[in-house]
Amino acid sequence: MDAQQPPPSPSYLLPLQQLCDSALPTGAFSHSFGLETYLARGIVHDENSFAAWLRHFIDQQLVYSDGLAIRLTTEALEGAGLADVWELDRRVTAQALPLQLRGAGIKMGLRMLEIGEGIFPAPALDEYRTQIKAGRCAGHTAVAFALTAHGLGIPLAQLMSAYFFSTATTLTQNAVRAIPLGQNAGQRVLRLMHGVVTSAVATAMTLEAEDLGAVAPGLEIAQMRHEYQHARMFMS
Amino acid sequence: MRADPAVKTPMGELRLDIGVRNGRSLATGQYHRGALRVLRPHYLDESGQVCYMVVNPGGAFLGGDLYTLDITVAEDARLLLTTQSATKVYKTPATFAEQRMTVRLGAHSCLEYVPGQLIAYRGAAYRQSALIEMDASASLIMAEVVTPGWSPDGRPFRYEQLRLRNEVRYGGRLLAIDNVLLTPPSDGTSDVAALPVADISGLALMEGFSHLGSLLVVDPRVDAVLVAELQKLLLEHEPDTLTGISQLNGPGFVVRALSGSTSRLTSMMNAVTALLRERWFNQAPLNLRKY
Repeated sequence: MDAQQPPPSPSYLLPLQQLCDSALPTGAFSHSFGLETYLARGIVHDENSFAAWLRHFIDQQLVYSDGLAIRLTTEALEGAGLADVWELDRRVTAQALPLQLRGAGIKMGLRMLEIGEGIFPAPALDEYRTQIKAGRCAGHTAVAFALTAHGLGIPLAQLMSAYFFSTATTLTQNAVRAIPLGQNAGQRVLRLMHGVVTSAVATAMTLEAEDLGAVAPGLEIAQMRHEYQHARMFMS
Repeated sequence: MRADPAVKTPMGELRLDIGVRNGRSLATGQYHRGALRVLRPHYLDESGQVCYMVVNPGGAFLGGDLYTLDITVAEDARLLLTTQSATKVYKTPATFAEQRMTVRLGAHSCLEYVPGQLIAYRGAAYRQSALIEMDASASLIMAEVVTPGWSPDGRPFRYEQLRLRNEVRYGGRLLAIDNVLLTPPSDGTSDVAALPVADISGLALMEGFSHLGSLLVVDPRVDAVLVAELQKLLLEHEPDTLTGISQLNGPGFVVRALSGSTSRLTSMMNAVTALLRERWFNQAPLNLRKY
């Protein structure tokens, strides 16, 4: 009977799952975003210390960089237009003061753009490519992600939650390999991040455009120190 | 109700235009109004670099106060800009206190900006922004220290919020946005997920230290070799001072540092700028205490 049919899932569910799958080949597995510096100093060494670090990374970095960039890109697409998106690309690159972090954003951004062009082609992605080729934009993960997702009808809060959680998942898998942690410990940490991600999305919605890049000093210092750390598994 | 900061009348305004006359830099134009002025210029050495000291006769920033500084350094001119004392921000019950600075640096000009330490009192909220537009041949050195503030009971980090933002445009393109936001938790606060707000003195934020230092340098002579050399110099200041240095997306670098006192941070930043002053300008290390 019709009454027993479950309601259909929203049309954006599968696109969102694909874009935020930790297996999406953006190269995120090669980056620790400063975590490896904390491992070398012995500050992050087990499940609890990693959970504390990951929470700060989401709250104090992702919110003010990628999260705000996703929101501002989406808002520009719905309002001022693409010129504002290209300016945002330059700002999100300029706010990343640690060289390896800036490199990660660009490298993963170019991969994200390539994936986006392949699976959800859109004129805005072609235009982003043109801007990058002309040297007017650098490319950034969050901007490429928001441009790809735009048009799929994904509500902003869902988009940002999924992006944050996907980043948390990749970093947890990196921590499982590098600390090392058991797979079950990794899953427990990720479960703890549900509330953190929800809260981080709420914060990102309240920020001002001028807040872009207001990253916690300790995280920035760790990301800088990674450049001259001796033993490294990760590119950042 | 929070006043619209865009329409605030400044408590103090300062405009300073620096040029060169007979091989020495000096003010070619100067305007001040309200609670902001400069002392007569000094020359700390024979290099021709002029030193101006900014004075706030009111002594401190109060809630809603806006101070504006508009600095232009013309072609070939060299300015050392400092403040007579620490920047103090008292409790700001209604709305934040603010300083906005705009800087224009002409061809082959130089600005060395070394303000006194920032001390935010209990309950203070403060915003500081600098917009720097520099020619690709100009030179910029900015060194700032943020203290844990002051409170009657002696506890650190009792201020409400500090926002310090520098934006550098180099040769017409955006080079760097250096953005620091420090928000100590109020007692008993939690965020929307009912999680306790992060401890500002701890992991990822101040890492157990009390003072934050920031050194921003943009100059066409900065390259990866220089950054690597300075990184080794910074090691001499560990473990009392935790530092990170990284090259910007162009010829510049930033040093972020955490330590236990203003003097430790100043000594580290002086060591870095001493090397640059000697190598680039044939000048001795900066010593403001002499004057």
